[in-house]
Amino acid sequence: MVSGVREFEEDQDDDVRSLAARLVSGEETALEAVYDRWSALVHTYALRALGDVHDAEDVTQQVFVAAWRSRHTLTPTPGALPSWLLGIARHKVADVRASRARDAGRIAAAASLPEARDVAEQSADEDVTERLVVRQAVEELPDPRRTIMFLAFWEGCSHTEIAEAVGLPLGTVKSHVRRGLISLHQQLEGVRRESR
Amino acid sequence: MSHVDLDVLADLALDPTDAPEDVREHVASCPDCTALLASLGDVRRLAGAEPLVSAPAGLRDRVLAEARSTPQSTDRPADDTADRPPPPVPLVPSRARRRRIPAWAAGLAAVVTLLAGLGLGRLTAGETSPAPEERATVVAATALTSLDSDAPRGTAEAVRDDGAVTLRVSARELGDAIGFHEVWLINVDGTRMVSLGVLASGDTGEFQVPRGVLEDGYRIVDISVEPHDGDPTHSGVSLARGELA
Repeated sequence: MVSGVREFEEDQDDDVRSLAARLVSGEETALEAVYDRWSALVHTYALRALGDVHDAEDVTQQVFVAAWRSRHTLTPTPGALPSWLLGIARHKVADVRASRARDAGRIAAAASLPEARDVAEQSADEDVTERLVVRQAVEELPDPRRTIMFLAFWEGCSHTEIAEAVGLPLGTVKSHVRRGLISLHQQLEGVRRESR
Repeated sequence: MSHVDLDVLADLALDPTDAPEDVREHVASCPDCTALLASLGDVRRLAGAEPLVSAPAGLRDRVLAEARSTPQSTDRPADDTADRPPPPVPLVPSRARRRRIPAWAAGLAAVVTLLAGLGLGRLTAGETSPAPEERATVVAATALTSLDSDAPRGTAEAVRDDGAVTLRVSARELGDAIGFHEVWLINVDGTRMVSLGVLASGDTGEFQVPRGVLEDGYRIVDISVEPHDGDPTHSGVSLARGELA
């Protein structure tokens, strides 16, 4: 009934897969494309996790350089790229935190309660990461699905309101919201699998 | 009824009242569908984050410059091997398990080759003049590290005993990704690899090494995590690596 709704998400998957494959095989243009697509995600994650503009910038740089150097470890599957980048980012953020702890001479304090500290930080991190992944995923949706998802999830509009706003039949809007939810869910699950 | 279609579950997550009775009954009684419904609901809960913050304008150039400054010697072979499919060179005749190496691994192996230099010398020395009185000799060893962070992941050593070579793997912190851990030897020529077996219990194991393969350049020890999908080839996900030297 709603033609074209499924097709473009499969195209998206193929894009990511071929981008990953090009990166693995060492094409510099693939690194550029990967940077353009995911640097905001990585940078925002680092910014939220570290709360410092300069550290966030450093981490972002380290992540993409490390991604390039260890590109052979990437499996070219859809969804693997963002979770892989975030996985590297998590290591780099942990390094910065460890170095801060050393600098501040807080090693003893940190070491006395390592698990409690880690768990609190990890769960806050996870939530931040997942929110950003969902945001990133919705940004990447092609229109009109992107607009529809923003209206539905960010603005809290009803399907009827959205149908009026974008001038599409109600059934088409519903279908976009449903497929959009599934697509965001896949992205999120990809990252969750990676971080387990 | 069987599991609920993802589309139907998505509708249910969007509007709990918008589902046929039998669907709701099934979901209520099925842990899998309940979990899937909950994680679809998570997406709704997690939506609403503020816009992403772009990285500063100049950073892109710095990243690309630093990536390019990766020593040329490590980049060029990766490109070369990636451009053409690796030749299917037989490792041992016929039936033995052997595989072509995927391009991602070929690149790294080629990189490692260039950095290996000394390793070959030591390996060859250990092999050509084994001390006759020592029955088991460590002929090569390596530390294992994570690929993305260089974090330590244990050790591996090749032990020669009366001509037979055994690889002793003692890994650690391999993580808890779902799947089993398989040990491979990757050839430094970047085109071949051989599976030695799985780490069946814990993170340590001993594996018989096919005769002559170390001398043939199969010196990169690799531990992968393999999903239970029946596919005998390398999953592409390496947890630890090191080159025997």
